[in-house]
Amino acid sequence: MSQTKTGSGTASPVTVDSFFKTVREPLGLELVAGESGLGQRIGEPALNRPGLALSGFFDYFAARRVQVLGNAEIAYLTSLDKDERAQRLRAFFAQKVPCVVITRQRRVFPEMHEMADTNGIPLFRTKMITMHFINDATITMENLVAPRMSVHGTMVEILGIGVLIEGKPGMGKSETALGLIKKGHSLVADDITQLRLDSAHLLIGTPVDVTRYHMEIRGLGIVHVPSLFGVAAVQEEKRLDLMATLCAESEIDELDRSGQTRRTRNIMGIDVPQVMIGVKPGRDLVSLVETAALDYKLRRLGHDAAKELDDKLISLMTGGHVGSE
Amino acid sequence: MKVTHEVTIKNEYGIHARPASMFVKVASRYDADIIVEKDGSGVPGKSIMGIMTLQACHGTKLLLVADGDDAEDMIAALVALVESNFEA
Repeated sequence: MSQTKTGSGTASPVTVDSFFKTVREPLGLELVAGESGLGQRIGEPALNRPGLALSGFFDYFAARRVQVLGNAEIAYLTSLDKDERAQRLRAFFAQKVPCVVITRQRRVFPEMHEMADTNGIPLFRTKMITMHFINDATITMENLVAPRMSVHGTMVEILGIGVLIEGKPGMGKSETALGLIKKGHSLVADDITQLRLDSAHLLIGTPVDVTRYHMEIRGLGIVHVPSLFGVAAVQEEKRLDLMATLCAESEIDELDRSGQTRRTRNIMGIDVPQVMIGVKPGRDLVSLVETAALDYKLRRLGHDAAKELDDKLISLMTGGHVGSE
Repeated sequence: MKVTHEVTIKNEYGIHARPASMFVKVASRYDADIIVEKDGSGVPGKSIMGIMTLQACHGTKLLLVADGDDAEDMIAALVALVESNFEA
């Protein structure tokens, strides 16, 4: 329909540079040496503590991962005499690892500087403790490699439910979102929503950085949502639960008005529940989308209003002998 | 009918808000669907937000892909707009 597939939906390779740019501020990472290797790809989006490799055992060494040197590794290296240490480090750096991170602001041996530069292996340092760094960096890396695509639709959060409002240009996506924001719900992205598939197989919607928190409303132009409605009116990102598709009345098949047959739409392998909302002058799209979200929430809690009413009706008509035949 | 055409952005500041709205205004006069692609990824050409996310600066090459009965007329109008450096 009006969905515009604008991404391939495939995982993208991660370079050391993109990893560094993403974690630089939140994880306080600084580049110490080996700048020339920033363009290298991180072969496996994971982290490795190279204890065994530093001791000289390289079988099954996960060389394609980001290498993290924490307290234990640095203490071990410190315990070695100078020549021995240089030799071990040389063997380690010769493995062409994507990059090396030293945590807890531990010391950088002078020979590491030189080896990082000559081998073109970026060497970073952070104040974070190793465990926290590994946890945070793993999540970041998973997000970086997650399959993504962008869709033509406005995403809002309605009482905890992430709803993507889609429809042809002029159907009133942004106006509907504006009405929802005025009712106290919040905006995730206007008109272009980026979706990524995370490792738990959830679709997460985010805005595109450059237009984040802005909306384009016909007749008004571009507005900045948090300035007008407060910071509570925007969300950084939100799980996608429901698609609300605005379309012409004639496009909806009128076969089932009871709402018992559930439509879904497949996005990157995930079936997302979908409601079709016919647009006609005088229909209150804001209330319709809001109610659709609430009904979805109710169903997720185990109440299916359409089915319950139908069961009750059948029960009344059969004198309570449901399921006996 | 599907019509594609590549254009190069030549105005100094690229497609910022005003050129984006002009582009969308022209595109919206036609019934055809339009996708604007930069480096292989595309956005709907009738969305101001979409066009702005392209961050098409001076020198950027964009591929216009129109699909519909009046695609040819639409592409002609959009190419004329881009080539006039959005001064129409």
